[in-house]
Amino acid sequence: MRTSHFVMADTGWPGCAKSLKGVILDLCGVLYDSGEGDGVAIPGSIEAVKKLKESDLQLRFCTNETQATREKFVAKLRRLGFDISVSEVFPPAPAAIAVLKERGLRPHLLVHDGLLPEFDGVDKTNPNCVIVGDAAENFSYQNLNEAFRVLIGLEKPVLFSLGQGRYYKETDGLKLDVGVYMKALEYACDLKAEVIGKPSPTFFQSVLNDMGLQPHEVLMIGDDLLNDVGGAQHCGMKGVQVRTGKYRSSEGLCLCVSSGLLRFIPVFFSLRTHGCERLRGRPPCPPRRSSSGVESGELGGDGPRGSGRQICS
Amino acid sequence: MLLKASRMAGRRALKAVLIDLSGTLHIEDTAVPGAQDALNRLRQASVAVKFVTNTTKESKRILFERLKRLNFNLQENEIFTSLSAARSLLEQKQHRPLLLVEDSALEDFTGIETSEPNAVVIGLAPDHFNYSTLNKAFRMILDGAPLIAIHKARYYKRKDGLALGPGPFVTGLEYATDCKATVVGKPEKTFFTQALSDLGCSPSEAVMIGDDARDDVGGAQNAGMLGILVRTGKYREGDENKISPAPHLTCDSFPDAVEHILQNLL
Repeated sequence: MRTSHFVMADTGWPGCAKSLKGVILDLCGVLYDSGEGDGVAIPGSIEAVKKLKESDLQLRFCTNETQATREKFVAKLRRLGFDISVSEVFPPAPAAIAVLKERGLRPHLLVHDGLLPEFDGVDKTNPNCVIVGDAAENFSYQNLNEAFRVLIGLEKPVLFSLGQGRYYKETDGLKLDVGVYMKALEYACDLKAEVIGKPSPTFFQSVLNDMGLQPHEVLMIGDDLLNDVGGAQHCGMKGVQVRTGKYRSSEGLCLCVSSGLLRFIPVFFSLRTHGCERLRGRPPCPPRRSSSGVESGELGGDGPRGSGRQICS
Repeated sequence: MLLKASRMAGRRALKAVLIDLSGTLHIEDTAVPGAQDALNRLRQASVAVKFVTNTTKESKRILFERLKRLNFNLQENEIFTSLSAARSLLEQKQHRPLLLVEDSALEDFTGIETSEPNAVVIGLAPDHFNYSTLNKAFRMILDGAPLIAIHKARYYKRKDGLALGPGPFVTGLEYATDCKATVVGKPEKTFFTQALSDLGCSPSEAVMIGDDARDDVGGAQNAGMLGILVRTGKYREGDENKISPAPHLTCDSFPDAVEHILQNLL
């Protein structure tokens, strides 16, 4: 058994554990690993979610998943054994729909077919903005051109990108992610896209609003140092990086690095109850470039993690 | 008038005129009205003329044949394209390219080895800009293959409206791989200096006429030439304000540009 699982890189712990009123969990790389079929639940994660729900903490789930509707991937998680419901899950599409409503915008969609039903109730006639998601095979020249023509024809072009990942890993190799096509359209139209999804502060704020909590009262647990933890901390939340994904960089950006929910959750609850659990930790790792080649502190490139849909060995 | 005189003060007599093709002399298979006559008038003055283009869908031969069909008076060797510039680079570095260029442009690369490619060349190739081919290119670049862009035009004008150029796809791949492409076409300085090199004149003795504010006029002026922006082709209202310094002249079309040259620059 490993003797130390935690790196305490900042002050605040363990005291802050007691003041926390909510937890946000990332999905892929934290709760489950993608792969054949539905993928596989990460050991300890089902129990961890159960424990969190039994507590007085508010719980929500955050993801940049844009290839399927909430209903579809929540159904998948339930099949894996997770007690999770649609209203607790925050992917980019519903956030985008809220923004559209707020600003009176009608979208032209360049998204995966699986995401289209999410937009069923949205007025898409006479579009005055473009939404681009992780469209995969739908990223044809023709489709991209159509989206470009909508933008170039608008007096005030608005482009929303559901996430900004560079690429992700699937069973048959690395694939270009939404960020690449966002950049393509930005260049073509000489504009800047608005990112909806991690690590956008507005996105995290929408989850906080739903919880009715202040940033300092909430803990974000994710495997992606930049998009999950970095993004959350940028908003004033506490961040914990778990190492159950492939992503292994640790730069002292986050407060605590755990080997997984399996290890972290029991300690977390112990901290909340007793307030002074003594942990055998080791000093924070010095900042270094991760094996994925991502620069620390850069809220943009996220290397092989992409949108989090990575096969973990 | 005084302003113009002072800007002209440092310049020597005009020796060469570089002329863009698509959007300036013609739009697809239709010549810009009056352009053929204007070209003939220009030839009567003692200036060298070269046709420079970022068009990558078509080989030199195809471009030449179209211009002849449209009754323009020119020689095939007066055409200088970004494909020519790309080929030189490949030969120089002995790269074996994955050629993401239209089939019709492939003939300008005859003789270049393409098996087991170790470089990615991106031109205007809508047929290749699909998800699976771009993923292939992306993985090669991640493995170390250099990315060569024939040019980075944002968009161009087709009969059915504006269409994405290679620029957006090159930019996307640069973002994905955290690499910078080597661009060989307009508005790169070397493109313009290469085009002028066999005319025996320097950029300060040359003027460029084109419809793309950034790539034609901005690029040429950056290389030390004068630039004339024409309001045909892909030109959109206000384009002249997008570059600094502003174009030496913005006028309605190629014939007006020629008039200006004949009356003011010789």
